[in-house]
Amino acid sequence: MDLINPHVVDLSRFQFAMTALYHFMFVPLTLGLTFLVAAIETVYVITGRRIYRDMAKFWGHLFAINFALGVATGLTMEFEFGTNWSMYSHFFGDMFGTPLAIEGLMAFFMESTFIGLMVFGWDRLSRPAHLAITFLVAVGSNLSALWILIANAGMNVPAGTHFDPDTMRMQFQSFVELVFSEDAQAKFVHTSVAGYVCAAMLIMGISAFYLLRGRHRELALRSFRIATLFGLISSVAVITLGDVLGRMDYAKQPTKIAAIEGLWHTSNPPYAPWAAFALPDDAKQENHFEIGIPFVLTPLITHSFTQPITGMHELEDQAAPRIRSGIVAINALKHYGDTHSSADLATFRAHEDDMGFGFLAMRHSPNQDTSAITEADLERVVHQTQPDILPNVFATFWAFRIMVALGGFFFIFFAFSTFFSLRNQLESNRWLLHIAVWAIPLPVMATEFGWITAEAGRQPWTVFNRLPTFLSSSSHTVGYMTFSLIGFILLYSALIVAEFYLMFRYARRGPQDHTSHDTTLSGLHNAQGGHF
Amino acid sequence: MFARFPALLKLAGLGAALVIALLFAVFVGDQGPWYFAWVVGTVMIVLISATGAVLFEAQNSEEHDKNKETQP
Repeated sequence: MDLINPHVVDLSRFQFAMTALYHFMFVPLTLGLTFLVAAIETVYVITGRRIYRDMAKFWGHLFAINFALGVATGLTMEFEFGTNWSMYSHFFGDMFGTPLAIEGLMAFFMESTFIGLMVFGWDRLSRPAHLAITFLVAVGSNLSALWILIANAGMNVPAGTHFDPDTMRMQFQSFVELVFSEDAQAKFVHTSVAGYVCAAMLIMGISAFYLLRGRHRELALRSFRIATLFGLISSVAVITLGDVLGRMDYAKQPTKIAAIEGLWHTSNPPYAPWAAFALPDDAKQENHFEIGIPFVLTPLITHSFTQPITGMHELEDQAAPRIRSGIVAINALKHYGDTHSSADLATFRAHEDDMGFGFLAMRHSPNQDTSAITEADLERVVHQTQPDILPNVFATFWAFRIMVALGGFFFIFFAFSTFFSLRNQLESNRWLLHIAVWAIPLPVMATEFGWITAEAGRQPWTVFNRLPTFLSSSSHTVGYMTFSLIGFILLYSALIVAEFYLMFRYARRGPQDHTSHDTTLSGLHNAQGGHF
Repeated sequence: MFARFPALLKLAGLGAALVIALLFAVFVGDQGPWYFAWVVGTVMIVLISATGAVLFEAQNSEEHDKNKETQP
C-alpha cells in the first residue's frame, strides 16, 4: 500500500471546503426564496391583486438567477467525491451514493422541470395551477436539500449501516433507519429554515433599498411585510433546531460538542460556565482569556442541571482502550483478507466497533502499517493517536459562536422589523432600513459558519468513528491537486462574480412600475366583495 | 344523477386527498417528528406571511377611506 501523503489530504480537504462553501452561498437562498415566492403568489391567488403577481415574478426571477448558478457549482461537488475522495467513495459509497442518486433523479429533476413552468407559465396556466407549480418547485428544491442532508447525516451519525469485511465497504442494513435518523431530520429542518431566513433578509434588504431611494414603494412595503413575518418565524425555528442538534451532538458526537464549547475538562454541573469568549490553543490543549457565564453550559447542552459534559482530555483518555482494540480489529481484518479464516473474522467482529480508531492509529504506525507495531511500540502509538480524535478546537469554537451571534441578531432584527412593519412605520425608521440593506449577506455568512461548525467538528473523521479523513482521499500528486485547486477557485470565483453582477443589476433595475395598477384598491375590493 | 357526478367525483377526490393527508401525518409524525414539524411549520410560515400581506391591504384600505372622509 502506498504511504498517504498528508499534503494531498490537506489540499483535497481545502478544495472540498472551498467548493462546498462556494456552493453553499447559493443553496440557502434557493431553499427560502421558493417558499417566499409561493407565499407572495398565494396572496395573489387569494386577493386577485396584480401587484402580487408582479412581486412573485420579480422575486421569482432573482430565484431563477440564483438557482442556475447553484446548479453549476453543485454538480462539480458530486464529481469531486469520485475524483478526490475515492477511498471514501469506496468505503461509504453505498450509503452516500444512494441518497445522492435519489436527489438527482427525484428532487432535482422535479425542481428543474417545474421551474420552467414557473418562469414561463404565467400566461399559460390558471392562477391556482401556477401556484401549485410554484409550491412544487419549492418542495423540489427542499427535497434536494433533504437527500443531501440525509447523506451528510450518515457521515456524522452512521445509521442503518454495517461494515462488510469481505467487500471492505459500509453497506445498507436499513434505508429507512438512515432516512428517518434523528440527525438527518434535525439537520434538514435546521438547514431548510436557515434558508428561509436568508431569503427573508434578501427580500427585506432589497425592499429597504427601494424605500430608502423612494422607488417601487408599493412593491417594497408589501414585500417587506411578507418577508419580515416569514423571517421572524423561521428564525425561531432555526434556534429551536439548533438546540436539538446540540443535544444530539452531546449524545452522539461528544468530541464535536466539547470542541464547540472549548471544554478541555469535564464540566462540573450545575456551576459549569459557558465560554462566551476564549482563545482555544489546540497545541497546548487549553483556553486563553476565557470569559464564562456560570450556570449556563449544563442546561444549555443537556437540558438538566445535573449531567456533566465530558471534556476533551477525558475523551482522549477514553479513546486509549478503543485505539488498542481498533489496532487488533485492523490486524484481524488484514489477516482475514489473506486467510478468510473464521478465527480472524471472529477476532475482527469482537473489536469491530473500534475499527475506526485502528485506522486512526495507522498514521503513527511504522510505515503506516498497524501489524508492524511491536509490544514495546504500542503505547507510543496509542499516546500519539489520542490527540488525533479531536477536531480543530479554535475553528469549531469560533465558527459556532459567530453563527449563534448572527442567529440571535436575526431574531431581534426580525422582531423589530415586524413591529414597525405591522404599524406601517417603516419609512419613518430609516435606521432599520439601512440595517436591512447591510444585513443582506449576514444570513448566508451564518449558514457558512454553521456548515464549518458541523464539518470541522466532525473531524478527524469523514465517517464518524469509522473512517478517518486522512484515509479517505485519492492518491493524487501534490502538483495535480494544486493545479485543480487553482482551477476550481478561478472558476467558482467567476461564477460568484457573475451571480453578484446579475443579482445586483436585476435588483437595482427593479420591477416594472406598479403605479398604474396601485392607485386604486379596486382589485382587492372586487376580490373580497368590497369587505376591505 | 349524471349532472351531479362531477361534483361527487370532486368530493370523493377531496375526501381521498384528506385521507392521504391524514395517513401521511400519522406515518411521518410517528417515524419522523421533525420532518412532520417541517411540513406543518412551512405551511404555517407561508400562511402567516400571506396573512401579513392581506392585513397590509386592510390597513391600506382603512387609511384610504379615512383620507377620503377627511377630504372636503
